[in-house]
Parts: sequence; C-alpha cells; structure tokens
Amino acid sequence: MKKRKRLKIAGTVLAVAVSLILLQELLMPKYIYDITEGAMIREYYGEAKDHDVVFIGDCEVYENFSPAVLWQEYGINSYIRGSAQQLIWQSYYLLEDTLRYETPKVVVFNVLALQYDRPQSEAYNRMTLEGMRWSASKVKSILASMTEEESFLDYVFPLLRYHSRWSELKAEDFRGMFRRERVTHNGYYMRVDVRPAENVPEGRILADYRFGDNAWAYLDRIADLCQEKGILLVLVKAPSLYPYWYPQWEEQVEAYALERGLPYLNFLELTEETGLDFSQDTYDAGLHLNLSGAEKITRYLGAYLREDIGLADRRGEKALADLWRDKLAAYEQDRDAQYEKYGMTPPDR
Amino acid sequence: MKKKGLGHFLALAAVCGVLLAGCGNSEHVISGETQEGGAAESASDQGSAPQEAENTDSAGGYVFVYGDVTISMDEDASPITEALGEPVSYYEAASCAFEGLDKIYTYSGFELQTYPTDGKDFVSLVVLKDDSVATPEGVALGDTKAKVEEKYGTDYQEDGALLAYEKGGMKLCFILDGDQVISIEYRSGVLEGGDA
Repeated sequence: MKKRKRLKIAGTVLAVAVSLILLQELLMPKYIYDITEGAMIREYYGEAKDHDVVFIGDCEVYENFSPAVLWQEYGINSYIRGSAQQLIWQSYYLLEDTLRYETPKVVVFNVLALQYDRPQSEAYNRMTLEGMRWSASKVKSILASMTEEESFLDYVFPLLRYHSRWSELKAEDFRGMFRRERVTHNGYYMRVDVRPAENVPEGRILADYRFGDNAWAYLDRIADLCQEKGILLVLVKAPSLYPYWYPQWEEQVEAYALERGLPYLNFLELTEETGLDFSQDTYDAGLHLNLSGAEKITRYLGAYLREDIGLADRRGEKALADLWRDKLAAYEQDRDAQYEKYGMTPPDR
Repeated sequence: MKKKGLGHFLALAAVCGVLLAGCGNSEHVISGETQEGGAAESASDQGSAPQEAENTDSAGGYVFVYGDVTISMDEDASPITEALGEPVSYYEAASCAFEGLDKIYTYSGFELQTYPTDGKDFVSLVVLKDDSVATPEGVALGDTKAKVEEKYGTDYQEDGALLAYEKGGMKLCFILDGDQVISIEYRSGVLEGGDA
C-alpha cells in the first residue's frame, strides 16, 4: 500500500515537472519570425563542430561577415557566435562554451563591445544567454550580465519571466516547442536590401574616452584563453559607420594589439581595399552591411586568413564539402527569396 | 482513491494557475539604450518578452528652450519636431534587434534625439553643438565651471570632466576641458542603461 502511495506521489511529481517543462517551452519566445537575433546563439549546438574560425561579438560580426563566402572562395570553415549587443564578458563565456566542443585555429572578436563596461539591458541579455546550453560558463555569464532588476532564478526557470505570454501565444510558439527553423547561415544574418548611408552623425563629445577596467579585463581573458589553447585571436572593427568609432578608442585598441602581439583589422580604414560603397553596401544607412557589403569585406578577411595566417583550403574534404553544399543551397535560396521580396535585381556574379 | 487522484490533478492545475496568472501584473518592462544598430524588423508581436526602452517621466527636469519651443526629456517628440521645422539633417538608427528607430535631428546649434516606445517617439537627448544656443539659465559652450556653478549651484555629481545635475529623472550634463565647458547635454533617464 505504502509502495503504491509512493508511486502515485512520484507519478504526480513527474507529471507536474513534465507539465511545467512543456509549459515553459511553450511560453518562451521562439525568436523565429520576430527578433530573430534571439535564436542565434542556440543554433550553434546543432552544428558539426570542426570550424577553423569562430567569430564572437555583437551585431557587427553577425551582420557583416559571411561564412558562406569564406567557404566558397577560400575553403575556410567558420561560424559566427554573434548576438545582439553581445557584451564582452558574454563573448568571453561564449568562447569558453565553444571550447567545450571544439578548438578553432582562429577566433575573431569585434572590438566595439569594449565600449560597455557594465550590464546594460535584460532584453539583450536574454537574447544571448537563453540560447546557451547550461554549463559553468552560462552561469558565470548570467551572473556577470544581470542588471540590478534581474534575478538569476528567472534564467533558471524562464517560466517565471514569461508566464504572462500565455494570452499572446501564436502558432509559432506551438510549432517551435519541438522544432525551430534556422534564422542564420552559420551565424550570419542576411539582408540584401539597400538603404544608403547619409547624414551619419558624428560622435558626441565624451567626458572620458578610456574603455572601462572590466571591459579590458575580459579582453585580457579572451586573449589569455586563446593563447592557452593555441588559438590566434584576431581583433577586428567592422566598417559600421554608426555608432561612431572614436579615434581615441582606435588608439587604445591599436596599442593593446601591439602590446599583446595580436593582429587587428579596422575595416573602417580599409574601404578602398575592400571596395565598400556605403551608397550600395548597407541596408540601414551605415549601421550594418547588406549581403553585397558583407561579401566584400569577407573576401578581404578570407584572403588575409589564407595568405597572412596560412589557413588551409579544405574544399577537398568530402564530408565538409557535402555539408557546405547544402548550406550554400540554403544561402542562395534565402538570397534569391530576399531579392524577390525587395523587388531587386540580383547583381551579376 | 479517485478523490486522491483528483486532488493531485487539482494541485497540478493550481501550480500552473499560479504560474500563469498569479504574477500577471508584475511583468516588468526593462528600460535601456536603443542606439546600437540592429537587424530585426519587428518586435511588436513578441508578446511579453522583455522589451526595450520604456519611456520614463522626466517632468520637473531641466528643459531646453529654442525660440518658442520648450523641449523636455521623455516628452512626445512629434509636436516638438513639428514646431522646430525642417532639420538641417536627419538620421535614423535601428535599435539592435528591437522595433523602431532612434531618430537624430540636427538643427542649427543643437541636436535632438528620440527613442521609440509603443509606436511613438520620445525625447532622449538634446546636445548643444555650438555657442549660438545656451541653456535657459544662461550657460553656453565656452563658459567656465564657475559660471555653471553660479547658475546651477554646486549640488552636482562630478566624474572626471563631467558635471551632472540630476532633476526629475533626467540629467543636465556639462563636460569640461580644463575650466571650459565643451559639451552640454540634456539626457533622459532611459540613457542611463548605457548608450552608444
């Protein structure tokens, strides 16, 4: 009798737990059709993890570099672990997380994130943190990222945060419980439309142009971790015209790169070499590149990785080539669908 | 036995009910900066997922006056920009991932920035760009720290070259180069989460 009672209690507890898990899955935002940036971090875990290059950083990596071009033209297998307003400590912990699965030869980090020295916004935090698999790195990233209003428990049990979405559920919430459509191409967010950069404002005067101690400490940790694992860390500044990149910031990054012996590519200073044209190569007036712009600067980066760093051409590896055949097909399909959506004529290739 | 089984299911329903409805009104909307560029087109359908900047009330804060137009932080920007007329230049910056655009209007002598909330734009920042304009209290670029203190008092937060007077949830900020004012900004509280 006692055994039966225990079984019933266990059954009830299990039913409650399963119900709550399903409820949580249902209520959490899926980021499939809206704010797709929230789905990016999660996508990495479904990948075959054999990348030569991994990018970490904010929108300036996931909107400006195309892994498809790195593969198609240089045979370099890469992935972008980018997310919206990814803070530098989030990049560090994402790097730690990535190294649980693979050790790339090169890590590319975009330096704009140095401007933030403290937690910023729950909304952006969640887009980076919720997609991470649970690990010590995720816990540390949450603790480093939380604003004063946030609670760690809300990350452990997102149901506590999202319970009131029940009245706004849509079909995608049910479909996305068990299967999520991909929103990127190896982490790259594609846009083909054009909005020329005009009247880009200059930066406001700042009281202090020095990057914060916390930001520097995490850049040190990224550099140290890469060094420890035998990974080459390449610092980049994407060619985004806004937010403004101050000369005083540039000086600090150049000095740091020199001191640590790290390569640093500032694409703002390479527009002639890359052929970027901000009347054609941006979809939001200079904040981010469109496909045309991203492919241009990726070609420059690919040549650099091949010729200066010596990364090998792996297009002869059958398994990888097969994998990329499907990826390139999806990339081209997305590209063509977007050209059609925006009523554009694809440029000659 | 059946009563016990029913009891278990009622307990389960109660737990779910509490989670679904018990805290229904406590959903907090997170404020923060929206200036860093981004991609997504729409967040409006994302339900109660955390959202970007919520407009805060800066009533009672310092105001900037240009001609007949009074500009308060977190005020609806539409009547203000209408009254100010055609700007010298205009720029739109998409929020990183969220709906809406931060808008930057440049007028003669000053710049006005807005942030979007619930389909409307609110004033987030006014930056005085040259000495053709001044604060209503009479401080302009090029004035001294002593003049700032004379006009606004000494109850300010000082952080390096920055003097910040906080009032009504906004800040009036003076940046000094030595003894000279080189920047004057009216800043909404929404920028306190950090801006670009």
